[in-house]
Amino acid sequence: MKHEEYIDLLTADALGALDAIERRELEAHLASCAECRAEADVWREVAATLAYAAPSVAPPAALRERLFEQIKTQPPISRAEAVTKTEADSENSALPKPTNVVALDAEREKRRGGVLVGKPLLLVGSLAASIAIAALAITLAMAWAQNKELQAQLARATGNTRQTEQDLRQTEQELAALRAERDLLAAPASRTVTLAGTEVAAAAQARLIYDQQTGRAVLVAANLPPVPAGKAYQLWFIADDKPLPGGLFTTDASGHAELRETIPPAGRRAQLFAITLEPQSGSPAPTSSIYLKGAVS
Amino acid sequence: MSDHAQQSISDIELLHSIARGDELALASLYDRYSSILLGLLLRILHNRPEAEDVLQEVFLQVWRRAADFDEARGRGFTWLVTLTRSRAIDRLRALGSRERATTAAMREAPEEIGDAGDDVLRSEQAEVVRRALAEIPEEQRRALMLAYYEGLTQSEIAAKLNQPLGTVKTRMRSGLIKLRELLSEQMKSARTWI
Repeated sequence: MKHEEYIDLLTADALGALDAIERRELEAHLASCAECRAEADVWREVAATLAYAAPSVAPPAALRERLFEQIKTQPPISRAEAVTKTEADSENSALPKPTNVVALDAEREKRRGGVLVGKPLLLVGSLAASIAIAALAITLAMAWAQNKELQAQLARATGNTRQTEQDLRQTEQELAALRAERDLLAAPASRTVTLAGTEVAAAAQARLIYDQQTGRAVLVAANLPPVPAGKAYQLWFIADDKPLPGGLFTTDASGHAELRETIPPAGRRAQLFAITLEPQSGSPAPTSSIYLKGAVS
Repeated sequence: MSDHAQQSISDIELLHSIARGDELALASLYDRYSSILLGLLLRILHNRPEAEDVLQEVFLQVWRRAADFDEARGRGFTWLVTLTRSRAIDRLRALGSRERATTAAMREAPEEIGDAGDDVLRSEQAEVVRRALAEIPEEQRRALMLAYYEGLTQSEIAAKLNQPLGTVKTRMRSGLIKLRELLSEQMKSARTWI
C-alpha cells in the first residue's frame, strides 16, 4: 500500500472502524512514518471529542466508594513493571499509541532560543496547513475548556485558591501563545512560501508562513541533509537581490526542522527566501551554496 | 503553545500524581470526567449496570496504569476516552449477540446527538461538540456514530446500511474532516467568550 492510502486509513482508525488486518497494516506503516503518526494523533483527538455527543450521566456515589475500596488493594504499576507483565501488554494494546502535536510543543523552549532542534509543528506536505490549523484549533478548544474549568474551580475554591490562580494564569499565558500561532495562520496579511531543495538538497522541502504586517514567521522544513558539527542552516530574505540574514536552525535526526522568528521590516518585502549552510554562529552574508529557495508568488 | 495548554496541565499533573499512588489525584480525575465517561458508556452499552461496571474498571485501570500515559502522545482526556471506548466495545462484544439484539432497537433509536436540553451536567465544551455534530450531514454523522458508538468496522457499517464499502469509507472520512473543520470554526467564535 502506498503512503497516501494509509492516510485514508487514519480517520477510520481514529473511529475504531478498521478490521484487524487493516489495523495491523496501518500499525506497521505508522512504525516507520512520522507524518502519519502525527496525523493519527490529530484524528484521535478529533474522534475523542465524540464522547461529548452523549449526555453526561452522574455515576452513583456508591460506585465511587467501591472504586476507592478496590484501589486500596491494588497499587499502581510502574512503567518498568508494566513491560515485564504480559497482562500489562495486552491491556496496553487497548490504549492509544499516539505521538502528537503535544510532543512538538515540548520543544518550544528550545525553539525560543533561536536555534532549533525538534520535531516539526507543521508537517511539510499537502496536508501541512490543514493539520496545523486543526491541531491548533483542538489545542485551543481544550485550553479554552480548561480555562473555563479553572475559572469555575476558582469560584469554588476556598483552600487552594493560590494554586488555582497559578494554574489559571498559566493556562491564560498558554492560550495567548496558542492564539498568536492560530492568528499567524489566519492573518489576512499571512503569506506562505514553499521552498524547494536545490541540487545539493534535492529531497528537501520547506514552508515559510509569515505575517507581512508583523513579521511573525514560522518555517518548517523536512528532509534536510544532516548538519555537520559547527554548522547551522540559516534563512535569508532576499529583497532587491540583497540577502538579509535570518534565523539559524538545525534539524533533528530525521532532517526535520522548525524555526520561529520575527522578520525585520526590510525582510518582509523579500521576493525570495533561501536557506544556506553557515557556521553555527551565523553569517552576515551567505557563504555556502543555496540549499533551498522559494519565491513569493 | 508551550507545553500544552490544551492537555490541560492539571490532567497531566493528575495522571502523574496518580502514577505515584496519589488517591486524591484519582478522586479529582474521577470527579472531573466520570459523568462524561458514564454518558459515553451508556451510549455504547445501553445498560446501566454494565456501564457502571466498565466505568469502575476504567478508573481502576487508570489507577493501575497511569504510568503508561505519555503526555507526548496525546491529551489526558483523549487517553481516558480512548481507553473507555475500547473497554466498552470489548464489553459490548463480550455481551454477545443476544443482548445486542435486544438493545439493537434502542441503539438505533436515540438520535445521534445527546439531548442537551435536560442535561444539566453538560459542559460548554459538550455544547460546542454537539453544535458541530448537528451541522454534519446526516449520512456522514450516522457513519461516524455507527463506528464510534457501536464499534462496527467499515465493512460492517456498509453491510448494515446496505451501501457500497467505498461510500461508507468516504462518508466516515468526510464526516470526521467536517467535524474537525466545524470544531475549529466553533473555537473561533468561542474565543470571544473567553
